[in-house]
Amino acid sequence: MTDSIATPGTAARAAGTIYDLGYQHYDGPRLGRWSVIRTLAAFSFRTAFGTGRGNKAQIIPYIVLLLVYLPAVIMVGMSSALGQPQLISYAQYLPAVTFFLALFTAAQAAEVIVTDRQYGVLSLYLSRALNVNDYIAAKLIAFTGALLVLTLGPQLVLFTGKILIATAPWDAFKSNYKDLWPIIGGTLLAACYMSFIGLALASFAARRAYAAAAVIAFFVFMPAVANIARVIITNEDNRRYTVLANPFIVITGFANWLFDVQANARVPNQFGARGTARTLARAALPGEYYLYVMIGTCVLALGLLILRYRRTEV
Amino acid sequence: MPLLSAAAVTKRYPGVTALDSLTLSLEPGIIGLVGANGAGKSTFIRILLGLLAPTSGSVEVLGIDALKAPLEVRKLIGYLPEHDCLPIDVSAADFVTHMGRISGLPASAARERAAETLRHVGLHEERYRLIGSYSTGMKQRVKLAQALTHDPKLLLLDEPTNGLDPEGREEMLGLVERTGREFGIAIIITSHLLGEIERVCDYLVAIEQGKLQHAGALAKLTERTQVLRLELDDDATEFIGRLRSAGLDVQVVDGALLVALASDAAYDVIRDIAAELDTPIARMELDRHHVGDLFRTATEDRSPKTEVLV
Repeated sequence: MTDSIATPGTAARAAGTIYDLGYQHYDGPRLGRWSVIRTLAAFSFRTAFGTGRGNKAQIIPYIVLLLVYLPAVIMVGMSSALGQPQLISYAQYLPAVTFFLALFTAAQAAEVIVTDRQYGVLSLYLSRALNVNDYIAAKLIAFTGALLVLTLGPQLVLFTGKILIATAPWDAFKSNYKDLWPIIGGTLLAACYMSFIGLALASFAARRAYAAAAVIAFFVFMPAVANIARVIITNEDNRRYTVLANPFIVITGFANWLFDVQANARVPNQFGARGTARTLARAALPGEYYLYVMIGTCVLALGLLILRYRRTEV
Repeated sequence: MPLLSAAAVTKRYPGVTALDSLTLSLEPGIIGLVGANGAGKSTFIRILLGLLAPTSGSVEVLGIDALKAPLEVRKLIGYLPEHDCLPIDVSAADFVTHMGRISGLPASAARERAAETLRHVGLHEERYRLIGSYSTGMKQRVKLAQALTHDPKLLLLDEPTNGLDPEGREEMLGLVERTGREFGIAIIITSHLLGEIERVCDYLVAIEQGKLQHAGALAKLTERTQVLRLELDDDATEFIGRLRSAGLDVQVVDGALLVALASDAAYDVIRDIAAELDTPIARMELDRHHVGDLFRTATEDRSPKTEVLV
């Protein structure tokens, strides 16, 4: 304590005096568990885009953002120039960007979940008013939210574009608003599918690089596994189900089913879409199967996450 | 209401008993928890935090059952782990604010308190820098700040001076002492250096192999005098003779002189003798005698196999 410091309430309460208030105890409100989960989710959401983490952490998220929004903007621009709103296809969008979603998942799931363990922050979280399941919930909300920005966002751009370039926008909205439900539901499930897989795989890695490698390996090996299984299995009927192991086919099949597109419809040859369409047509599985596989995968991934964190040493 | 009461707490792992029927009641204050690695300190801390369920027994922290209401207990505790626990690519201000919010503080209060606790630990100017650029000492201060930011009733500090240089240790201990004495926050601090425990704690709990070895006010325990370790460049024979004739108790161990310090006057005596004999002193330090020294006799009585406690 120096001479210039006085405590409040003393005679030294004169102009220009520095008050040392000392340590202040906190007796304000303390928020409940849900708001703590929300705080952690918001923090992790920002982490997924590298916000507040320096420029280097933002390179991959921003490149992916550009890659998933650019086609939507171009599509809207083209159909606007040609005056043909019907050119805009929701069904093709998700399959077209799945590769970029996989890239984002590989790079950023690690940032969201591995760094906590790698740097030991997890032990600080779990020693506070937060239990393991709260932690998992917050991370899933955060990363699914981040993927929604990449899936729902561009489709909303498409939807808005389609409405605005119509000659009578209000009529166009009234006749098109029902598209919003499959858009929102479909992108939400797709976001869950990617984020649950990503976080579950990443949670087993000790370092970010391993986590990224594990997620990439999943998206590379699963199509290969599907192809190998197709070669091995001779029974024509069982063979059809091998496509369900391929995440890219699953997402395409799901999107087609969601927007009621026939599997053998003519599709432009982009991102191997024609090959995918042929595979889907050949398998000729009911569309619901793709939905079930996605939900089942999410449940499985959630189980893995809970298992992984159940015996966390702090 | 006692700060903490543990009743017959036992934790068994297959083949190992980490805690063996630990019964303990502590009043608020600065409490030193000492024991070797594997003695059960960390297990005990994890049970206090409600992160680990004991095999049997019960624990109450500030009157709340740590096993039945772990979240309630954790709200009252600030925890500084022994290991690294900080992200590298976030600023200290952001991180401590975040940890405050994780403890349930509203955003604006969390920001204010983060600034305040970081100022308290002496990181006011640097708080907007990324933690990755901090020195070990600064990181250790951030760890203390995050443990304090939600205004806990009890601080659990696990080896807070680990990895710090002597100066850093002194500063950290000063902070710990100030936090305990001036802010009225109860502190449980673990360390394997008795000198540190002696300096800041008023109560000491020693655990060995999961068993409570000793619990008592520290003043009684350390009434024995401190020992100064002297290393001389020249022949020490005459020096020793002069010290002894000055009434000091001197022992020679491995070429170093261990001088019992009855009072601070002993420093003056040593200085004067060194000046008179023109003997260079190569090294002079307070012997950081380990807690084991204190309990060695007791330890040998109970289990002859154990050589050093800490």
